[in-house]
Amino acid sequence: MTLGSTTIRGNLRPKMTKDEAAWVKQELAEQIDRYKKIVQDMEALAPQREKWVAEFLHRIQTRGFHVHAAIRRVIPKNEVRPRDGRPIQVVF
Amino acid sequence: MPRPHIEPFVDRDVGFKKMTLPGFKNGIQYKMLSIDKDSGACTMTVQYESGFKQPPGFSYTEMELFVMDGHLMIGGKKYVKGTYIFAPSGTHLPAMSTDEGALCLAFYNFGPPTFEESDADHDKADKSQSLKMLNSYEGLDWQVPTLFPQTAPGCLLKILHLDPKTFGMTFLYCMTPGFWQDNISYHDVAEEAYHIWGTSWMMQFGDLPTGGYFYRPAYINHGCFKSDLGILAIGRTDGDLHNYFHHDPFSTPEENHHRAAAKLARMKPALYKWILTNEHNHLPHDFEYPDDAYNTDGYDSGIHMHEDGTSHSHKSSGAHSHITAPAKKKKK
Ligand SMILES: [Fe+2]
Repeated sequence: MTLGSTTIRGNLRPKMTKDEAAWVKQELAEQIDRYKKIVQDMEALAPQREKWVAEFLHRIQTRGFHVHAAIRRVIPKNEVRPRDGRPIQVVF
Repeated sequence: MPRPHIEPFVDRDVGFKKMTLPGFKNGIQYKMLSIDKDSGACTMTVQYESGFKQPPGFSYTEMELFVMDGHLMIGGKKYVKGTYIFAPSGTHLPAMSTDEGALCLAFYNFGPPTFEESDADHDKADKSQSLKMLNSYEGLDWQVPTLFPQTAPGCLLKILHLDPKTFGMTFLYCMTPGFWQDNISYHDVAEEAYHIWGTSWMMQFGDLPTGGYFYRPAYINHGCFKSDLGILAIGRTDGDLHNYFHHDPFSTPEENHHRAAAKLARMKPALYKWILTNEHNHLPHDFEYPDDAYNTDGYDSGIHMHEDGTSHSHKSSGAHSHITAPAKKKKK
């Protein structure tokens, strides 16, 4: 739920039973393992991603950047924010 | 938002598990796609085995079911692939069975999966929404999205459900072959999606094939995008979807959050100022929903997974931002 949608309308029994709590705990443990594998996989993709980013930055300065629907705008060099050593983190 | 960032995940890479939660009948297997650490709300790929039978009953939490393959007999009627079911909390479904089996996606939106045998609704069932059972493949037409700004030409939608209070929506979307969109997007809301068929590509995550899934908390960059052969997917948001497009591949969720707030200040200055000047003592109140509470303590963006399965908690209250404004660059 995002901020604001804080009603309990969607669940008539918010307190979990013992069995449910145990099931959720087990699922959460497995979710952590899946998450760790995703982080590894995404780190392994980093060199390839650097190339994709360079290609994207080139395309928006030549073919154009999608502003809205089919409307594209060629981005002038001075509007491309300098990288200044910033990393690309993709999983949070 | 206590579901973590799961992206990308391909369910074809893992096996099914037997559903063991009490209440459920034999013959259900599942793959967990994402689960909320606090509420147990989750999204799963579900295989109903051939010969599966279930009496009438309801889920305590709001539930959505999408049939991807096979069929389900529900109340004596045949529901084939493309069927979308929305059941408000406590709303009973007729008896269900399948001869050939059915591959589905199941969304339990505010709590863990439950099944309570009953041929009537729970006495506190959510009557603000109604049971919906529709064939999305044959019964709905593709629409050009009406969001502003809009996705690039070639991305089309079928709205399956729109939550009347949050504008959270469930939708089918497709990308036509050769689709491309050269911008980076993020939203104020979490977004999840599952590829029913086809492969698309994002600059951050690479290819997402058939069976590919993501659950992405708010303010996380995704895109640019493309799909060579096209895709068919089902998506879901937990609130109003606005596309914030930009072209900085290195911006952080914190910076994106700041930018969204700056846009709000520019686009809805009266609302923005009202919220600021009413900080602690005047939380929002809606005369249409007078019983709703809007508690902003302990807002959890769901960003950053920790060892214990919790996410990094972004606490803020009222108008006090916890995020340090990015340092302004001096002009050379
Ligand atoms: Fe998105």
